[in-house]
Amino acid sequence: MRNAFRGFVTSACERRSLARRRRADWVVAIAGPVIITAVLLPFGSFFALSSVLLFVLLAVIAAALIGGLRPALTAVAVGVLAGVFLHVRHYGGLRDPLGVDLAKILAFVFVGVAIAILVGELTRLAAEQGALRRVATLVARAAPPDEVFASVTAEIGLLIPADTTQIYRFERDRTASNIARWSKPGTDLPAAARWKLGGHNVTTLVARTGRPARIDNRADGTGEIGTEARAAGARTSVGAPIVVEGELWGVAVATSTGGRRFRGDTEARLAAFTALVALAIANAESRDELAASRARVLAAADEARRRIERDLHDGTQQRLTALALELRATEAAVPPDMTGIRTQLSRTAKGLAAAVDDLQEISRGIPPAILSKGGLGPAIKALARRSAIPVELELSSDTRLPERIEVGAYYVVSEALTNAVKHSGASVVYIRVDVDDLVAQISIRDDGVGGADPTRGSGLTGLQDRVESLGGTFEIANSVGHGTAILARIAMESGDNGRR
Amino acid sequence: MVVDDTGAKERAVRIAIADDDVLLREGLASLLARSGFDVVGQAGDAVALLTLVREREPELVIVDIRMPPTHSTEGLDAARSIREEHPAVGILVLSAHVEVEEAIELLAGGERIGYLLKSRVTDVGEFIDTVARIARGASIVDPSLIQELVAARRRNDPLALLTAREREVLALMAEGCSNAGIGRRLWVTDGTVEKHVKSILTKLQLPESPDDHRRVLAVIAFLEAR
Repeated sequence: MRNAFRGFVTSACERRSLARRRRADWVVAIAGPVIITAVLLPFGSFFALSSVLLFVLLAVIAAALIGGLRPALTAVAVGVLAGVFLHVRHYGGLRDPLGVDLAKILAFVFVGVAIAILVGELTRLAAEQGALRRVATLVARAAPPDEVFASVTAEIGLLIPADTTQIYRFERDRTASNIARWSKPGTDLPAAARWKLGGHNVTTLVARTGRPARIDNRADGTGEIGTEARAAGARTSVGAPIVVEGELWGVAVATSTGGRRFRGDTEARLAAFTALVALAIANAESRDELAASRARVLAAADEARRRIERDLHDGTQQRLTALALELRATEAAVPPDMTGIRTQLSRTAKGLAAAVDDLQEISRGIPPAILSKGGLGPAIKALARRSAIPVELELSSDTRLPERIEVGAYYVVSEALTNAVKHSGASVVYIRVDVDDLVAQISIRDDGVGGADPTRGSGLTGLQDRVESLGGTFEIANSVGHGTAILARIAMESGDNGRR
Repeated sequence: MVVDDTGAKERAVRIAIADDDVLLREGLASLLARSGFDVVGQAGDAVALLTLVREREPELVIVDIRMPPTHSTEGLDAARSIREEHPAVGILVLSAHVEVEEAIELLAGGERIGYLLKSRVTDVGEFIDTVARIARGASIVDPSLIQELVAARRRNDPLALLTAREREVLALMAEGCSNAGIGRRLWVTDGTVEKHVKSILTKLQLPESPDDHRRVLAVIAFLEAR
C-alpha cells in the first residue's frame, strides 16, 4: 500500500505554521483589550465603564474569530480588568460596585461569552465544512483510496483536534489492518500494521457493534490494540464505523494523549468523514469490478478464439487432411488406364489441400501456440516476420510474463502492426518491448502519414479497452505527417485499491 | 520393399506413426505401406509412441506435434525423449502450423530431423520423397517456414546482396536440400550449385558447414536473426 503512511508525515512547514497560529491567538486575546485600553487613554469621555467594555467587545470578537473559544474567553477576562482599570484610574473608584457596575460587567461577560461561543462554533463549522469539501473533492476526482485515507486522517486530526488518527480495515480473520495514520508532530504511533481484535478498545467495540464508540478513560483499555494504545499514552479515543454499501468495512479512530476529553459530537463529526471514505471505497470497488468484468469478457473471447483455433487445427483441418489422403489412396487404386478418373481424383485432393491452407490463414490472427509456449519474444518476432512493412524490433528481455499480460501485449503489437500496414504507408515500424519487475511497456511507432482516428472503427479502440481492462494505460500520439506512435503500459500486478 | 538402382533388394525402412486422429494415422500408414515402407506400429499419444519405439525399434518415427493429453507440444517432447534414448532414430514432426523456434530446437537435437506442415502429406509424391530422405540422413524443414523467413522484410537487409537465383538456392539450402538436390530442383549442374552456395556463404559471411544438417541449422539461424 503505497500511500498508507502519507498521513503520518506532517511536514515541517505545516508544523511551524501551526505553532505560529497558536501564538497569534493568545497575542490577540491578551494584547487586544490592552491595546484598546491604551488607545482610549487620551480620550477621557469614553471612560464610562459601559463604553470601555463596548470597545473591548471588538477585541473579544477578533479573538474569537482568530483563535476560537478559549482566546475569546481570555479576551473577555482581560477586557473586564481593562475596563475596571480605566474607570477606576479616571474616576478614582467604581460608583456602585455591587449595583449598576456589577450589572454592566455581568452583561458584558454574558455578551462576550455568547459571542465567543457563537463565533467559535461558526469558525469550527467553517473549518469542518472546508475539510469535508477538500475530502469530497478528492472523492469526486476518483482519487485512489489511499490518497483519500491519508487526507481524511490528517483532516480529522487537525479538526477535532486529536493527537493521532487512524483508519483500520476489518479483515476476515478477526484482525484489523492499519491502512492510514496521522499524528500530531512529536506523537508516537504504534507501528504494527495488523492487530488482533478483542478486549476493551474502540476499534474492537466498533467491529462488534457496527456503531460509533468512545472510551474516555483509556486506563482500562485491554486487548492487543487497547494495551498498545495505553502504552503509547492514549487517554481518550473515539471511533466511527466505515460502512461500505451496507457492510461494515472498517473504522476511523481519533485519539488524544492529553487530559482533554473529546466533545460530545465528535462521533457525529467523524461519521461525516467516514461516509466520504466509504464512498471513495465503493467507487474504487465499482471501478475495479468494471475493469474486472471487462477483463472477464475479453478473457472469455480469447478462450473462445483459442477453442476455435484448436477445433480448426485438431478437428476440421485434420479431417480434411485425412480425407485428402484417402482420396490419394483411391487415386492410387484406380487402374492406370482410367486416366480421366485419376485426374479428377487428383484435382479434388489438391482442392482439399488448398482448403486446408485457407483454414491455416483464417486462424492467423489468433494468438499462436508459440505465445503460450515460447512467450512474447518469439510470438512478436513471428508477427514481425510476417509484416508487409519492415519491422525494427527491440525486446528488452526474454522473461516470461503472466499470461494475461502476454496475450494483451501480443494483441497490441498484432493490431498496431495490422493498422500500420493498412493505413500508414510507412516504410518502417519500430516495435519496442521493455519489461521490468513493475511494468511492461510496448511502443509501436511508424514513419507513415499519421492522423489515424482511433474513434473511427479501427482496431485501436478495442486495444484501448483491452489494455485498460488489464489496468494499463494506452496512448496514441497521432499528428498528421508525423507517423503514429502507440504506447501501452501494463503493470505486472494490478493495485488492490484498499480492498480486502 | 524399395528396389535401388542396382536392382538389389533393400530392406524396407521401419516406421512408427503417432497421431491421435485414427483416420489420419491409418491413412498415413496405408500410404507409407503402399510406398514400400514397413510400418511397424501406430500410437495415439506420446507415451504409447515411446513404448513402441522401445519395443519395435523403428528407424524413423512420424509424430504429430499436438497429441493428448494437453494437445500442445507433446510431439516435440516425445521427439526430445526419443533423441536422448535412441539417437539413431530419424524423426519427422508434423504440425498444423510451423514455428521457427520449434524448427531450431528440433534441428539442434541432431541430424535426421524433419519438421513439416501436416497438410504436406497430401502431396503424396513429395511427402514420400521427404520421408525417404530423412531415413537416409537428411534434415528437412517445411518450405513455407523458409518462405516466411526469406520473405520477411528488413531494413538494411543482408539478403539484398543476393541475386534472385541465390535466394532460391538459399531457400533450398534451408529446406534441407543437398547440393545435388538443389541441382535437380533448379535444373542446373552440381558445379553451378556449388558456385552459388560459395557465393552465398561469402556474401552472408556464413561459415562453410561440413554437412547438410549443420548447413540447414546455420542458414535458418541466420535467417531468423537477421
